[in-house]
Amino acid sequence: MITVNNVTKKYGKFKAVDNISFEINDGEIIGLLGPNGAGKSTTMNILTGFIEPTEGNVIINGYDISKKPKKAKKSIGYMPEGVPLYKDMTVKEFVTYMAELRGIKKDNIKESVEQAMQDTWLQNVKNVLIRNLSKGYKQRVSMAGALVGNPEILIMDEPTVGLDPKQIIEIRNLIKKLGKDHTLIISSHILSEISQICEKVIIINKGQIVAIDSPEHLEDTVNVENAINIIVEDKENKMQNLKINGAKKVELIKENDDNTKEYRIIPEKDYDIRKTIFSDLSKENITIFELKKPEITLEEAFMDLIKKNEKEKEEKAKKAEEEKKQKEEQKKQEKIEKKEQKQEMKKEKKEQKEKKKNKDKKEKGGNE
Amino acid sequence: MWAIIKKEVKSYFLSPIGYVFIGLFLLMASLFFYSEILVTGSTMFSNMFYSLSTMLIMIIPLLTMRMFSEERKDGTEQLLLTAPRSVTSIVLGKFFAGSIFFIIAVALTFIYYVILMFLGNPNIKTSLVTVLGFILLGAALISFGMFASSLTENQVIAAIISIAFYIITWIGAPYLSQSLEPLGLMNMFNRFANGQIACTEVVAFLSYTVLFILLTIIVIQRRKSVK
Repeated sequence: MITVNNVTKKYGKFKAVDNISFEINDGEIIGLLGPNGAGKSTTMNILTGFIEPTEGNVIINGYDISKKPKKAKKSIGYMPEGVPLYKDMTVKEFVTYMAELRGIKKDNIKESVEQAMQDTWLQNVKNVLIRNLSKGYKQRVSMAGALVGNPEILIMDEPTVGLDPKQIIEIRNLIKKLGKDHTLIISSHILSEISQICEKVIIINKGQIVAIDSPEHLEDTVNVENAINIIVEDKENKMQNLKINGAKKVELIKENDDNTKEYRIIPEKDYDIRKTIFSDLSKENITIFELKKPEITLEEAFMDLIKKNEKEKEEKAKKAEEEKKQKEEQKKQEKIEKKEQKQEMKKEKKEQKEKKKNKDKKEKGGNE
Repeated sequence: MWAIIKKEVKSYFLSPIGYVFIGLFLLMASLFFYSEILVTGSTMFSNMFYSLSTMLIMIIPLLTMRMFSEERKDGTEQLLLTAPRSVTSIVLGKFFAGSIFFIIAVALTFIYYVILMFLGNPNIKTSLVTVLGFILLGAALISFGMFASSLTENQVIAAIISIAFYIITWIGAPYLSQSLEPLGLMNMFNRFANGQIACTEVVAFLSYTVLFILLTIIVIQRRKSVK
């Protein structure tokens, strides 16, 4: 169980991570998504205790990672970005060293090292210097270092970056296998990967959480219009003048080479228009080749969410600016009013004084 | 801590730098053995160390310059600092590894003592006291070298900082003022070479060592919240 409470990381004035909070339950597979520079690596570095947050705290299995680092870190295996390794060591030496650093008991070290190397298919290179390994192998060595001793939580920063397609599939399979009995946190900017592996996605943009949800749900939230795409053979071009019951808009998307056309039909209300399309078009002798809901991929959902987030931010900034301006104007007006009031007061005082003087004079005159 | 010591000592023996250190150290030792002892016909084993101590300025940084800078440059410090180990044990592990390697190099110089035994009667007590002082001096220098290496990710800069510091405390401080003279590390060693174990010097060496170990711990800890 990982709990992140209002974590902020500042570099000077720049906020790399801005007030993030979330919870990860045991056994979940989480994807951290975000464009470059969104704060994914910073978040992971904070989760693993490599850097301290400026504000907020991270609690791992009940231990605050800044206050009880030893206990909290014991249950984490970390595969950092860019796979840093001791290149002068052999694979076996490296994994053994990682096991020793993690404080695994002496009697169990050999066994867990063997297990980790078996899990990552490193048996055949165990005596090779890491310096001489290919990138894919290095990635696996780093992974072996993270999962030696079977920590409950595995955190991997871009585990598949820079690999060839075959290696990507291998690593992905490995991750899936690990996901069965570990809590996994993976960061990536490859969305297909995340949607394949993860049960839950945390989307980060500019240091803030934009959304936390399952990949399917995220796709659905963006796909609200309930639009239908159809491909038809329409020789007499009836589609343009055709009115389909309940359709708000019918638009041509593209004309294919085989004389078919693709249309998008957007229904008026939030209901399934497929039946009506089918019956209406067959009445008009239009042949339907294909009828489907347009798939909104996680990629589109992601872009959409990030755009929305940025728009919101812009609007907020605009509003704040307007409010500032208004306040300033108000202040100016208040100042002017105050000045006027003061002037009036002065006038009144003068008048009163003059009146008094006059009175005094009169009184004096009367006395005399 | 033991895991770190083991790995570090091993890596001294696996990398050329360890052998360069031992090679240079023994080369200088033999030169001084020849010029200070054989040529002058003395049996003072400590004479060799007396001259050798100044040479440490140039070769101790070989041991220390990569301690933290290399880890930082290669990113492997992420592995170290995310492991369930305290910063203190990491720093101490590295320091002891450097010291152990240094002690191994010093132990090799006993070959010259054996040679000397054939030629005359060297005083074993004075020799041992000298070696003890020499090791304490080495530990203080290693401690500062490690601190310098925690400051930068560039090994060369770390080495230059160390050498500059050693020279300042050796020549610079006494040159500036007489009152600063006791601070000079090299000067402190002189009394050991005469066969005396002085409390002040032992305490001074140890406090130098502890001070820079503590400073290294602070630097590493501090970087966690700055980085």
